[in-house]
Amino acid sequence: METFPVCPVCGITVVPGAPQGLCPECLLRAGFETKSGNKSTDGKLATALAPLEEVAKSFPSLEFMELAGHGGMGAVYKVRQPQLARIAALKFLFPEKQSSPQFADRFEREARTLAALSHPNIVMVYDFGKVDGRFYLLMEFVDGLTLRQMFRARRLSPAEAVGIVPKICDALQYAHDQGVVHRDIKPENILLDKSGQVKIADFGIAKMLHLPGNVTLTGAMDVIGTPLYMAPEQIENPEIVDSRADIYSLGVVFYEMLTGELPLGRFQPPSQKLETDPRLDEVVIHALEKEPDRRYQQVGQMKTDVEKIAQTMPPEEARPKTNVPPASRSARPAGLVAEAQAAARAALPSKPVRRTSKTTRAFRPKIAIVAGVIFVLAALFLAILFLVMHK
Amino acid sequence: MASKFNLLSTDLQSRSEEHASPHGGSSPRRIFATTQWSVVLTAGRAEFEQAQDALETLCRTYWYPLYAYVRRRGYSPADAEDLTQEFFAWLLERKWLGKADPQRGRFRSFLLTSVSNFLSNEWDKARTQKRGGGKIIALERDEAENRYTWHPLSYRIPESSFTPEQSFEWRWALTLLDQVMSRLSAEFEQEHKKEMFEALKPCLLGESSAQPYATLASILGMSEGSVKVTVHRLRQRYRQMLREEIASTVSSPEEIEEELRYLFAVLTRR
Repeated sequence: METFPVCPVCGITVVPGAPQGLCPECLLRAGFETKSGNKSTDGKLATALAPLEEVAKSFPSLEFMELAGHGGMGAVYKVRQPQLARIAALKFLFPEKQSSPQFADRFEREARTLAALSHPNIVMVYDFGKVDGRFYLLMEFVDGLTLRQMFRARRLSPAEAVGIVPKICDALQYAHDQGVVHRDIKPENILLDKSGQVKIADFGIAKMLHLPGNVTLTGAMDVIGTPLYMAPEQIENPEIVDSRADIYSLGVVFYEMLTGELPLGRFQPPSQKLETDPRLDEVVIHALEKEPDRRYQQVGQMKTDVEKIAQTMPPEEARPKTNVPPASRSARPAGLVAEAQAAARAALPSKPVRRTSKTTRAFRPKIAIVAGVIFVLAALFLAILFLVMHK
Repeated sequence: MASKFNLLSTDLQSRSEEHASPHGGSSPRRIFATTQWSVVLTAGRAEFEQAQDALETLCRTYWYPLYAYVRRRGYSPADAEDLTQEFFAWLLERKWLGKADPQRGRFRSFLLTSVSNFLSNEWDKARTQKRGGGKIIALERDEAENRYTWHPLSYRIPESSFTPEQSFEWRWALTLLDQVMSRLSAEFEQEHKKEMFEALKPCLLGESSAQPYATLASILGMSEGSVKVTVHRLRQRYRQMLREEIASTVSSPEEIEEELRYLFAVLTRR
């Protein structure tokens, strides 16, 4: 009997016909994630994402409006609390092992900590618990966009960036003072609501889902954070991470806000890429120090530096060197959100269309047909000319 | 197996929808009209050609689950091959104009219902008046038979304990994934990055299934940072293509996520 290879992730046999030699189950599972980074490793995802009616039964006091999003970490529903006449977000978490008592304890501890965080720039947790086998968090619903969606709509101006960053710093400083590290700061977790308020989401969720000591846990690394925004010491050793990891992640986000790119390898300071205030370079670089000891030690320090620069920044900074529509006159995030939403609605391509080859490919058959027609006409013309000449 | 894919204007929308905020904010509605199954369902008189093309493309892509179903129903490999070809010829002759029912649901269920119907009513007739001529699908009997014997569940549970419908569905899911991965591979190949794809594709399954980035970086002669970015992009493209492929087999955008979950349930059946 032939032995077939076994999937390194789930351990079942991988048949010869498997797509590109990869385990089909794991491959399809990997397809679930819609937010970058985190992946579900829970085999029961299919059953866990039950139809709305079923989920709603577990929460009789809530009115379910719609599924607002889902990914490897869980599903989020937009709900209404009729008693309080408010909209909320109901988020479910699918940990690696739902039944693990470790998880239940950790969940409760973390959720309680989160619920105690009360800050205008942090998405509030109203309630949490476990119902019908599902862990949930009832949170503030933010009607707006993520920073990621902003990026897709258009480049932010430095004025806008220095308007947003101090708010994030506020939120982080507050949390750090309470002993809470976010661990997963990235554009997807930074929300801007319609009135321009900055809100950080998913505080501590990463910690909640991490089961220590189980290094071979599939997807454990994914659950903790996106490598692109993670501090080096966090990638190295996710257990021993302090508030300075958040500062690094914020540095990455700040860099991305200013330049539209990620600071990879030997990255260039923002002012060398675009016409940004060179004083901002120092802030970004200081936040992106690989050694935590060399970084800002307090996110409040970063805020002070940014605000100082913002006060004396020349107006109408940074016409980016690339072909991006000029930033809105108002640096107010509110205008930004409305703009971004309008842009998203108009389905603008987020970046200069990279795939020009793909779009022109669609025209090639048409060009071929036109060319063919011209050729035929030309041939016909020549034939007629020939006949006439020889008459 | 080169497939004709109608240019998907869902491309842009799906990219922005990928990072949809769970806290609200509307993502733009997909322009769904150009995906294959929906073309078939909604074609009017003027779009008949496109509808035929679309249906043909779908049939060419998803013949294998059908073959498996027929075999599971008890037909010999020879009969199954004939039957499969005849079925598709019959299907494509039906002329969908005017019979378009947007509630027709998914191509997967449609195909299953149709072949079941065909076996009950039409096969006997079709047998006697074989259309012959050009074959719709490039069916290699040996290849088909080989694939038919590969079923991981048969290592734990005999396939005889699965209904033909279940067999069909399992192979459907597999074919769909295969299609997505072929496209993904082709895309990288087109950019002359085939090596990169081969080395990095295990990363699609998760960090622990692949070698550490540092090792991959030295194998590929890239910086670690570049590897991470490429993997990130690979994952995004995969997820996007997965949804595009599913989109081509369902009748409305709302069905995509549901179909995705259904297929996962099919693959994880025990």
